[in-house]
Amino acid sequence: MSEYAIIGKRMPRVDSRAKVMGKTKFTADLNLPNMLVGKIKRSPHAHARIIHNDTTKAKAPPGVMSVVTGKDTAGVKWGVFAYTRDQQFIQTDKARYIGDEVAGVAAIDEETALKALDLIEVEYEILPPVFDPMEAMTMETELIHTEFPNNINIHVNIDTGQVDENFAKAHYIREDTFVAPEESYFQAEPYAVVARFDSEDCLEIWCPNGGPHMKSKPLSNAFKIPLHRVKVRKIAIGGAFGGRSEICPADYICALLAKKTGRPVKIKFTREENTIATRQGHAMITTHRTGVDQEGRVLARETTCYMDGGAYSSTGPIATSVPFLSMEQAYRMGSVRYNGYRIYTNKPIRGMIRVHGRGFAAGLDTQLDMIAAHLNIDPVEMRLKNSRQQGEYTSTKSFVASCAMDETIHKAVAKSGFSEKFGNLPPFHGIGMGTNSVQTGFPMGIRGGSQAFIKFNEDGEATVMSGVVDNGQGNDNMVVQIAAEELGLLPEDIHLVSADTETTASDPGSYSQVSTFVGGQAVKIAAQNCRAKLFDVAAKVLKVEPSTLAAKNRLIFVKDTPEICIPIKKVVRISLLNFTSVNAEGGYWPRVDMKREWVSNPYGQMCEAFSFGTTIVEVKVNPATGQVTVLNATAAQDVGYALNPLVLEGQFEGSIAMGGQGGMLTEYHEWKEGRCLNPTMLDYKLPLACDMPPIHSIMVESIDPKGPYGAKEAAMSIAMSAAQAYAAAVSNAIGVYMDSFPLTPDKILAAIKAKENKEPE
Amino acid sequence: MDKIEISLTINETPYQMRVLPNDTLLEVLRNQLDLTGSKEGCDEGVCGSCTVHMDGKPVRACLTLALEARGRKIKTVEGLATGDALSDLQQSFIDHGAVQCGFCTPGMLMAGEALLSTTPGPDEQTIRRALSGNICRCTGYAKIVTAVAHAGNPQAPCPDCRTQTPYLQAKE
Ligand code: FES
Ligand code: FES
Repeated sequence: MSEYAIIGKRMPRVDSRAKVMGKTKFTADLNLPNMLVGKIKRSPHAHARIIHNDTTKAKAPPGVMSVVTGKDTAGVKWGVFAYTRDQQFIQTDKARYIGDEVAGVAAIDEETALKALDLIEVEYEILPPVFDPMEAMTMETELIHTEFPNNINIHVNIDTGQVDENFAKAHYIREDTFVAPEESYFQAEPYAVVARFDSEDCLEIWCPNGGPHMKSKPLSNAFKIPLHRVKVRKIAIGGAFGGRSEICPADYICALLAKKTGRPVKIKFTREENTIATRQGHAMITTHRTGVDQEGRVLARETTCYMDGGAYSSTGPIATSVPFLSMEQAYRMGSVRYNGYRIYTNKPIRGMIRVHGRGFAAGLDTQLDMIAAHLNIDPVEMRLKNSRQQGEYTSTKSFVASCAMDETIHKAVAKSGFSEKFGNLPPFHGIGMGTNSVQTGFPMGIRGGSQAFIKFNEDGEATVMSGVVDNGQGNDNMVVQIAAEELGLLPEDIHLVSADTETTASDPGSYSQVSTFVGGQAVKIAAQNCRAKLFDVAAKVLKVEPSTLAAKNRLIFVKDTPEICIPIKKVVRISLLNFTSVNAEGGYWPRVDMKREWVSNPYGQMCEAFSFGTTIVEVKVNPATGQVTVLNATAAQDVGYALNPLVLEGQFEGSIAMGGQGGMLTEYHEWKEGRCLNPTMLDYKLPLACDMPPIHSIMVESIDPKGPYGAKEAAMSIAMSAAQAYAAAVSNAIGVYMDSFPLTPDKILAAIKAKENKEPE
Repeated sequence: MDKIEISLTINETPYQMRVLPNDTLLEVLRNQLDLTGSKEGCDEGVCGSCTVHMDGKPVRACLTLALEARGRKIKTVEGLATGDALSDLQQSFIDHGAVQCGFCTPGMLMAGEALLSTTPGPDEQTIRRALSGNICRCTGYAKIVTAVAHAGNPQAPCPDCRTQTPYLQAKE
């Protein structure tokens, strides 16, 4: 058993009591005195020049308090990187997708606001739109952004050298192309934002966000006010999955309306707006060309991916890289060349999503299975031959300090009975596996580190201040668990102040899977510093050396003679009476290669740790309907160390649902002339309780040398390996390697039919 | 449109208020009474996050007109606990880790409570069917299903069913 009192335990989350009582406030639940209703006018055209934007009539009706257009924004443009600043918060010159922001309204109630929206007169000159990325590159229509030739927004090129030479040496080479359309986050909570300017003219803003400090900077830039005057407040967040990271034009519009009216304003997205006007996952066309030796070891790989980026850059450079990086972490490749192109189209904006390219990842594993079959190698063997090992460097030169990929493969195989089942199941019954890896952090420059502060109150309880944000995954609990463990308190003794830009120091945010590794580590260090101060005081009282002390259960005691002890509360009071501080801070900055850049220099240490995982699923396909029933899923991941198995299991299970069950069987968007045909929950098929298979979660612990208690990213790699495993299992069941995802019944039936036609009985 | 005076009983408290004929029960709960526990996830009857009880039966407050609730007994998530004492199901949701972001939780609880009140000791399939009008994007449902199955019905092999001792001691 571990030496920890609280870490590693199945601890119920500290935030769940308020949630089950209906007390937790989400943004849309805020009702501030005098609050106005904000609404956004959106372009009905996919590509159109804005000739005229007349708000005179819209301002007339009583109850309309403010109408804003691009004229009020001073042309500010937003972009995650200096070289991707391409999006105005309200468009002045042209609209680039159906849903692009063209105006905002604040009124006393929703009806009045909607009426005002209708009265805004925007005159457009319709431009020919382009919806297909391959077509967009031919440039037969006006460029979506003039600064980007061929509508190529981002081109990531990675080349380790020796690729062609190694292909020449290969025993067997395959080239296959895989496609998948857009998918959406469908966070349970539709986007909402509340903003007001307070009595000191500071902007106070509430919205679901992946990192308050990532929101405050662009707002400070846009309003030209210092950072300390932008107070992004903590509020419960109803899921993010990568889709709540960036500033949203609605944040700016809401704040602008609040400024103009001097009153709080709330903008609440409809479900359709959440789908269209936040972010979506990229549609991708991926070609993998892989050359192996006789044993199945990958000697060379060349991957080319075309990503439909939609109208603006968003996190483009990152989104264009991560699908590849995940695979180069998971698998060794002798040499590799990657060309990722993110292309502008007149469709909604695409961002980072939990499964970074389902077609990309599932394609790579499908091709491995094809190669394995050709060489007569078992899929397990095929993966073990190519799996990442601890102590290696990835193709783009990141050192892998901890890796238990093979253990995840072995454990998932044993638990699922893969080896007995593969090749021995009845017709239309299949089993498949996928392996993947995720970064624990991205190079984030100035926002790469986190700092925490801890103060003790005279009753012996502590307040922890941390910039870490909880999107729903349990980060608040993680911070409390760590602080309680290190301070020797119980979780209920810790009060958490977090995700607030006024009171907490900069933090990377709940983004890039780094909260535990960086934010948690900062809290751990702060708590250790705080504890050292307590021990100094306690040592004097107990007349022992500080190094002989330990803390647990609200007591400080001598390790070897626990009877010699003193309550922490008493130590705090003695300190205060003796003018001694028992407050402390702590910070953590991961050692990454600061010169690494997504496009200009995609080599060097990416982050300090990577997670590795394997998922295996077993399915039955109904050959008459094409319907897939998933019998069971087994997910194993190297999480470094499981800080809270109860919480982690929940993350594993959620990953199977989103990455596998939804992502590979039912979820995708349909389009007509740039209009999304299924933006609502009625039309977009999310997995339900009755759809989900039993899930076995296996946590493998490699104890990362840098992570807090050895912990690193947990469960996101499962969303990806689940996608791969679902694809492999269905392909195995029907005896056809599928190359178009998700695997909807129509595609499955067509594949079965095509196979029957090819091999008449 | 003229407002109509109605009386409603919500969580055993009587209210008098004026509503528009097209006001939904969800709008009245959230906007007039500040009972924001019931969530609006879709506003079209799909997600289930607005589920409340009307005379003990689960209904979608976004599809129910406030006028339809006249003279009925409405219970919302805010009415599940008795003072500080949680219902078995609420406690079970906490203990089994069934709450992640918590946005679906109020609706899930109301659907789960409705099931347990008519079908004590439901089997897994029954639970899954009963919860299939409620969408959860975070959990994959596994822990929610267990929480319903074990609510007030602790199972010996379950590491998360609350026994006499709190979790920290119990799990050594
Ligand atoms: S808000 Fe009522 S069912 Fe979704
Ligand atoms: S817990 Fe987030 S939607 Fe269910």
